[in-house]
Amino acid sequence: MTGWSQIRSWIRATLRRSDMETEMDAELRFHIEDYADDLVQNGVAREDAMRRARLEFGGVERAKEECREARRVNLVDNLTQDLRYAARMMHTNPGFTAVAVLTLALGIGSCTVVFSVFYNLLFNAFSARDASRLVVPALQDADNVGKADGNLEPLTLHLADLDVVREQNQVFEGVVGYITAGGIVLANDGAQQYQFYAARVTSDAFEFYAVPALLGRGVVTDDGKPGASPVFVMNSKTWKDTFKSDPGIVGKSFTVDGEPRTLVGIMPSKFQAFGPQEQIWIPVTRTSGTPRVAGEFPAEILARLKSGVSLNAASADLDLILRRLAALHPDDFPKHFTARVESATDALVGPSGGGPIFQSDIKHLLYDLLAAVMLLLLIACSNVANLLLAHASVREKEIAVRCALGATRRRLIEQLLVESSVLAVTACLLGYAFAWIGTKIIAAMLPQIMGASLGSRIGAETSLGLNLPVLLFGAGVAALTVLICGLAPALHVLRPDLQPHLTGPGNAGDGSFRHGKFRAGVVIAEIALSIVLLTGAGLMMRSFFVLTHVDLGFNPENVLLVVFLPPPSHGRTPAVQRFASPQGQLVLREVVERLEALPGVSEVAIEDTIPGYGPTRGPEITVPGATHSEEAGLLACDENFLRTLELRLTRGRWLSPEDVQTSQYVAVINKRLASDFFGDANPVGGQLKVKSFKGPTGPPQDTSFQIVGVVEDVKSVGPQQPAMPIAFLPYTVRGGFALLLKTTVKPDSLTHAVQEQVWAVDRDEIIGLSSPLKDFLQKNTYATPEFSLMISAPLAGISLALVVVGIFSVMAYSVSLQTHEIGIRMALGAQRKSILEMILAKGARLIVAGIVIGLFVSYALMRFLASQIWGVSLTDPWTFGGVVALIMLAGLGACLLPARRAASVDPMVALRYE
Amino acid sequence: MDKQLDLLQGTLDMLILKAVSLGPLHGYGVLLRIQQISRDRLEIQQGSLYPALYRLEHQGWIASEWGESENNRKAKYYRLTAAGKKRLQTETDKWNRMAEMIAGILGTKREEV
Repeated sequence: MTGWSQIRSWIRATLRRSDMETEMDAELRFHIEDYADDLVQNGVAREDAMRRARLEFGGVERAKEECREARRVNLVDNLTQDLRYAARMMHTNPGFTAVAVLTLALGIGSCTVVFSVFYNLLFNAFSARDASRLVVPALQDADNVGKADGNLEPLTLHLADLDVVREQNQVFEGVVGYITAGGIVLANDGAQQYQFYAARVTSDAFEFYAVPALLGRGVVTDDGKPGASPVFVMNSKTWKDTFKSDPGIVGKSFTVDGEPRTLVGIMPSKFQAFGPQEQIWIPVTRTSGTPRVAGEFPAEILARLKSGVSLNAASADLDLILRRLAALHPDDFPKHFTARVESATDALVGPSGGGPIFQSDIKHLLYDLLAAVMLLLLIACSNVANLLLAHASVREKEIAVRCALGATRRRLIEQLLVESSVLAVTACLLGYAFAWIGTKIIAAMLPQIMGASLGSRIGAETSLGLNLPVLLFGAGVAALTVLICGLAPALHVLRPDLQPHLTGPGNAGDGSFRHGKFRAGVVIAEIALSIVLLTGAGLMMRSFFVLTHVDLGFNPENVLLVVFLPPPSHGRTPAVQRFASPQGQLVLREVVERLEALPGVSEVAIEDTIPGYGPTRGPEITVPGATHSEEAGLLACDENFLRTLELRLTRGRWLSPEDVQTSQYVAVINKRLASDFFGDANPVGGQLKVKSFKGPTGPPQDTSFQIVGVVEDVKSVGPQQPAMPIAFLPYTVRGGFALLLKTTVKPDSLTHAVQEQVWAVDRDEIIGLSSPLKDFLQKNTYATPEFSLMISAPLAGISLALVVVGIFSVMAYSVSLQTHEIGIRMALGAQRKSILEMILAKGARLIVAGIVIGLFVSYALMRFLASQIWGVSLTDPWTFGGVVALIMLAGLGACLLPARRAASVDPMVALRYE
Repeated sequence: MDKQLDLLQGTLDMLILKAVSLGPLHGYGVLLRIQQISRDRLEIQQGSLYPALYRLEHQGWIASEWGESENNRKAKYYRLTAAGKKRLQTETDKWNRMAEMIAGILGTKREEV
């Protein structure tokens, strides 16, 4: 209640300021006159009475000021005065202002950019309604915990089982399913043929996600009823790229996967809910309770928690249901499992995102980056605090005078805080501008790096912008900087003795030894912090370099990978088997001949994997006389494969054209396989026994291959894993469904021509994938480290620049204080060289101290980066050495200018100066 | 010994509240009333009276109104508000307890320890 009346009284007093003043005057005058009257009545002479009354009352102005204070009306007065003062200060010191504002703006801007990435990827990644409650059910295979592929796997269920979960659960507000497996379809609008990534969705999926369509409508529940007219929905990218944003195509009929369907809607660009790369969505037609359809792919699941239900409660509930299902269909589930409900964000960017080979813990990375940018902010703040402190020392005399004239300490601190607030607000606005540019750059590069076209859907629904929470964060950071930066100079003011400043020479230099030390401490801390940032970024850079320079055993440059999928008209026969049949071989040969004739193509090879990421471990193999067997990868290919990928043959020969054409049971093995079974002996001419070898046709049976050659190891589980044993076989004995094209032009420029040539041979052929081999490495292995590098390298760069500015300003300031001393030294015969050395040594002491502390801190902190670093030791001496050298050089460079200024001091001027 | 006692820190507010609780007063009146009740034993700095009045009004414990003084001058009269009445009560209680306690302590005799 008193709070209210205080505010009311403050507002009244502030708004009706002049009324208050006149009332106050009248009231005090009345007091004095009345008192004087009383004195007169007691026999004092009238003029004498007035004088005595005034005298006894004491200082009228002081009383008034205290009254104003009581009403807090000075608040506004003081504030405007302080603001005017701050503006004048900024205006008269443009250099100081520019450096301080720019430094803070870089700090605030970097924080805002990183927070924008952090917030929008972790808390705003989905455009769905109530996105914070979106979850993905997952399974933990209890037998695999701790193994390389022991991560959480997203749960997939047959639609009939999904119905069970939907009916029996107590924890989900909605559960929908979508099937992306085998999801490339051919579509034809009568004029032209297209191929689309398609997902089949349960008909309630779009209403569940609740993002309105850009044009037309999304899928609705009625679309799933038997007998409903068949429809589909398209994503905005395909609509823009393939159909040139033609609004007329909504309502048009297409033949999709051999069935007529009407396109009823285009989804907005911020929608990529069901499947990472899906271009069209087709509703599943079924009534709930329909039993399982044989051969149907299981569906991936998205659910929304009822509000107030925890992830643990949901996991427990789901676990019960799944156990009942597992009892009915034991083949669909791992032997021992636990159901875990993950937030959709964690499923997207958490440690399990990306599966076993393509692991990327973006969530962890984002926290690391946020920590890094906070360090940067600290550096920026200490820089500005130092500047303000130096500035405050120069103003010591002014402040001392104001103190002597009666300004309270509180008032002075208020003023200094207002000054740093003005700096911070200006810097905040400039920082927003930097952040705007920064997020634009990252937003432009993110899809390029993360590439929604292949598995990763990070950023598909994210728009990295300066939305309200991000702006508020930036403002919060700015407020924090006011406190940090403003506090040091404000504390400086609190020093008790004014005397020396009033009587002293007007140069605070001699008296500020303590604060010189404090400033040096700040610079040392700054250097140490930047060491941490630089070593972090350095390690990431080294790791990225090592990663991109791993010897893959083949050359991925200028290679286009084309993978065929089984077309519907061929009864979904797997492509492996189809192309091994005589009729399929004819198709394949004709396609190869046509592709070889394409301009820009120099080699075409047939094979059956994505080089670098396959073959996975296959059947058991052994050799005659060996006591053990091991799992090896089998790679089926033709005679051109060696040349196309530039494999390196070390012994014997490669597969010959005759081997391939006449389906000879011969094999080329890699070095790892050779040494596992033959040691140093020559394996060429030996036999390789493959247990249960599965040819394109017929049942699996044990088969022998003659070893004809050995090649260098080739990576097959991604570049980060050691090479596995691999045997290369003629594709005619095993089957092949992919082509590798060695090109002399940019490989992705050929995708369209390749598709045309393939469709010229067989109109029903589906090209499952047509992508430069390099893109696989980029998207599956390089993307996350590149992303972290893209953010952390500029941060490290900025920190280095700030440290240079910090060292420079402190050295320059200390030289300016020492001018007098240097003058005396020179007058007494000191050489320029020794002065130069003296200043440089002083700087070097700061730098070395900072480096030593920084190295200890880095050493302790780098283990938090462990998950982002590969192939480099966390205490990599090259990185640490490089960073130390860099800081040393940059730091001494920053000292050089002040040192030279010191050395060029004219003793006469310096001594007379005062 | 001095006939006038110095005012204890913080007690001025309480005295003002007590003074205006006996009836509305102008600032000078408050001063006179306190001196009268204390039989001139208390010295109050005239200059410090007004900041205290303003502070109390700011807190909402007293309210002011312009009126006519006995000798027909315009004067600002202060009166106690409901909140001020409560405040005075708690302050008085606190003061009494305090005084009692201190008197008790100071009056302690050797044999009582």
